[in-house]
Amino acid sequence: MLTPSIERLVSELARLPGIGPRSAQRLAFHMMKAPPERARGLAEAMIDMTERLRPCSVCFSFAEAELCPICADPRRDASLLCAVEEPSAILPIERTHEYRGRYHVLGGALSPIDGVDPEDLRIAELVARLDDDGVTELVIATNPTMSGEATALYLADLVRGRVRVTRLASGLPVGADLEHADELTLGRALLGRRDL
Amino acid sequence: MPPAPDWVARRLAVADVRCWDRAELDLPAGLVLIVGPNGAGKTSLVEALVLGCVGVSPRTAREAEIVRRGAEALHVTLDLDGPPGAHRREIGFAPGRGRRLRLDGDPVRTLASWRARAVLVFLPDELRAVKGPPAARRRALDRVLEAAAPGFAEDLSGYQHALAQRNALLRRVRAGLASEASLPAWEAPMAELGARVARARREGVAALAGPFASWLADLGGGRGGALRLETSPQGLPEIAGDALEEALAEMLAERRPREIQAAQTLSGPHRDDLWIGAGDADLRREGSQGEQRTAALALLLAARDHLRARAARPILLLDDVLSELDPVRRRLLLEAVRDGGQTLVTSADPGAADALAAPPDAVVRVEDGRLHA
Ligand SMILES: [Zn+2]
Repeated sequence: MLTPSIERLVSELARLPGIGPRSAQRLAFHMMKAPPERARGLAEAMIDMTERLRPCSVCFSFAEAELCPICADPRRDASLLCAVEEPSAILPIERTHEYRGRYHVLGGALSPIDGVDPEDLRIAELVARLDDDGVTELVIATNPTMSGEATALYLADLVRGRVRVTRLASGLPVGADLEHADELTLGRALLGRRDL
Repeated sequence: MPPAPDWVARRLAVADVRCWDRAELDLPAGLVLIVGPNGAGKTSLVEALVLGCVGVSPRTAREAEIVRRGAEALHVTLDLDGPPGAHRREIGFAPGRGRRLRLDGDPVRTLASWRARAVLVFLPDELRAVKGPPAARRRALDRVLEAAAPGFAEDLSGYQHALAQRNALLRRVRAGLASEASLPAWEAPMAELGARVARARREGVAALAGPFASWLADLGGGRGGALRLETSPQGLPEIAGDALEEALAEMLAERRPREIQAAQTLSGPHRDDLWIGAGDADLRREGSQGEQRTAALALLLAARDHLRARAARPILLLDDVLSELDPVRRRLLLEAVRDGGQTLVTSADPGAADALAAPPDAVVRVEDGRLHA
């Protein structure tokens, strides 16, 4: 029923998170009716982003240059470092306006069942930054899941005595990702962070 | 505080469940007898009622088995009264497409937020709860504790998750794939959650022991009925308060070398067992089939009493238990459940209730895939 090119677009769209086959079809039909510049603009934006993006050489968040915008910003407090599992957790923390330090993206959380050991996370890089950047407080903002908690505990034991280690206060929905927490709750959790 | 209202199934409607094409059943609050020849579909009705409450079958983990042959999907609608009020609960299952849940017509995403721990079930193979492996007895005990205290299920599944992670890490360490440096990160949640699980089991068994002994005597199983938690490691949960968590953490740390060798966690609440006995006799191993059946029923009735006191009295589902009991015990059991909330009893014997002083509140006849009230 559909032509090969429509089918290709629909199946590509349907692979995106949160988009089922029916929504994919609706989007494809929408693009069909839109002027051709729209389709070109969208396609170019996607290619442009994927080609320009690379990990920040310091914190491993997204960057388009050597450094991400946060690491490149001299006004950020270098003595404060916040460890997160994924770059997607940075945005919700930024939105709270309660945090002025820098970040470090671990690239996941411990899970021996899935074969994820400390060596698979960017922990050595984190430890190196503590001295290099003159960090005085490490805020551990891994997800409030069991893997996130275990990662926090491992990190805290590893750097204890070298810097102050804090963890977000409880009250975040347990088992969820930080990106799903609302700003108010997350802001409170940041302000109320406690020593680990 | 007034006691919570009993759980009561008011109406059960099934479509395409095993041999049932369609069936609708109105149920009164008391004792309901479901009679019909073997293979007529009595157990499938019990199974459907359990599905309507907890969303999983007590008979099989392969849900596709429950869908009537030739049908695309099964549906169960249950009108259930209980502490949260009266609600219409719907569950649909289609092989390959999974489960669909609704509450009062609205879709519900997760089983955990839909599930009503409203039933205690006795299937003929429930003897596993007495004579089976420790895991079967632990499971039977945990099911009661899950229904009695809202936090227990989370503590238990959290403990099991942390245990699985630690065991995976022990295997990786033994295989030389990982260092043991991150073991403590999994031992901390194991100690915290394990202490809560151990304490809840200890308190639960202490509360069940009295009712168990008196039900065992009432059902003709003799005096001296006793339940004890056989803890792993021995004696640990007797430690009070926060010291228990510390003791568990110390034990895990101490046993690391040996457990790396074994590539598994050798002791802890995941190895607990329940001692079930009468006098000095260990009914788990020494009891006759009949004694074990009586003990399993006494355990179930004790659980019902416990839940009534702690949460709400559950619906009791006794499938095909009468045929295995002698006439005296049969009458004792039916009298025991007579005024104890809603109880559904299935039997192939049309005269199953004849011995009762007063007739059951309803008798449902099942024949050729049809219901006769
Ligand atoms: Zn950066």
